[in-house]
Amino acid sequence: MYALHKLLWDIRRDGAVKARYVEEPDAVLDEYGIEGDWRHLMKTLDFKALYERGINPYLLYFCAIQLQVDRAEYYARIRGEVN
Amino acid sequence: MSRTGTVVGAFMASHSPGITGWPERAQPGQQEAVEQAYAEARRRLDELEPDAIVAVSVEHFTNFHLGNLPAFAIATGDSYLGPVTAEMASFLRVEQHRYPGDAALGRHLYEFALESEFDPSLVEGGLDFDENFCVPFKHLDPESKYPLVPVIVNGVNPPWPTPKRCYEFGRMIRRAVEAQTQAQRVVVVGTGGLSHWVGLPESGNINAEFDRDFLARLESGDPARLTDYTRAEIDEAGNGAHEIRTWLVAAGAVESPFDVLVYEAVPEWLTGTSVAAARL
Repeated sequence: MYALHKLLWDIRRDGAVKARYVEEPDAVLDEYGIEGDWRHLMKTLDFKALYERGINPYLLYFCAIQLQVDRAEYYARIRGEVN
Repeated sequence: MSRTGTVVGAFMASHSPGITGWPERAQPGQQEAVEQAYAEARRRLDELEPDAIVAVSVEHFTNFHLGNLPAFAIATGDSYLGPVTAEMASFLRVEQHRYPGDAALGRHLYEFALESEFDPSLVEGGLDFDENFCVPFKHLDPESKYPLVPVIVNGVNPPWPTPKRCYEFGRMIRRAVEAQTQAQRVVVVGTGGLSHWVGLPESGNINAEFDRDFLARLESGDPARLTDYTRAEIDEAGNGAHEIRTWLVAAGAVESPFDVLVYEAVPEWLTGTSVAAARL
């Protein structure tokens, strides 16, 4: 879980990480060692499941903003209205 | 022999980005009520002629992260950048600039805390501000004329320091101020809360009942009531409500009743919004 928290924080703080994640998410996920369910949930932006598994909602929300996820879409996803 | 310092005042305020970023979206009258309360707080603050402000808030993963998340941190810098990025400056409608720091008072506070058996993190520099300080200080000190000693309390990721510990931290701040002579007149400002949900399905809800009860406790000045919260009770007002810890620190620094200058439940700002001043 720490690796994903670190990735979310780096996307928030570091424009280069964000740009690379948008371009080639698999390569960045490999670098951070994010695999299995975590990797799938991050790639599909399943914010609801990530939150329910203990990911900090501040970091989820801030990262979503950096990834240009619309605010309304973020909340639709965290509420489970969009999968 | 020089006189020792005094905590001459304390203020608390919400720091929702909407307060400065999109104030006009609140319901009619709410923006005016909140801005008038801020103006009254600024008038009282200026009358106190502080030499320095100990500014207590959380920070929203702007500096710290889950690889290093202090329960308490004291900053000892000469100055602080805020808002942290140009994008955040635009979002908050706060011009990016450097806020002056009172490095000497910061170092004294850090050392005094350790001697008092508190164990805050030391932040000598590089602490950038987000809405935590940029929003309230746009109204409280728009010219950034007062040097700051930022104190950060974890209010963004559980587990959190207990309410009683936060209040005791504030009492320690007052003893620290009274144990030095350089900053004669010191004000403590706590920012955060009240009820709100960040990044959660309930975002946009306000728990006005929680907020009004908290403010009643604050007005009473009774520390036992003010700190009598369990984690679950605060959770009822959202993950953002845990920021009331910053108010508890400021309350501990004066141990007095407070005047609530405004309370407005503002869903458009996602926050139960209040400004309060110590009745000293």
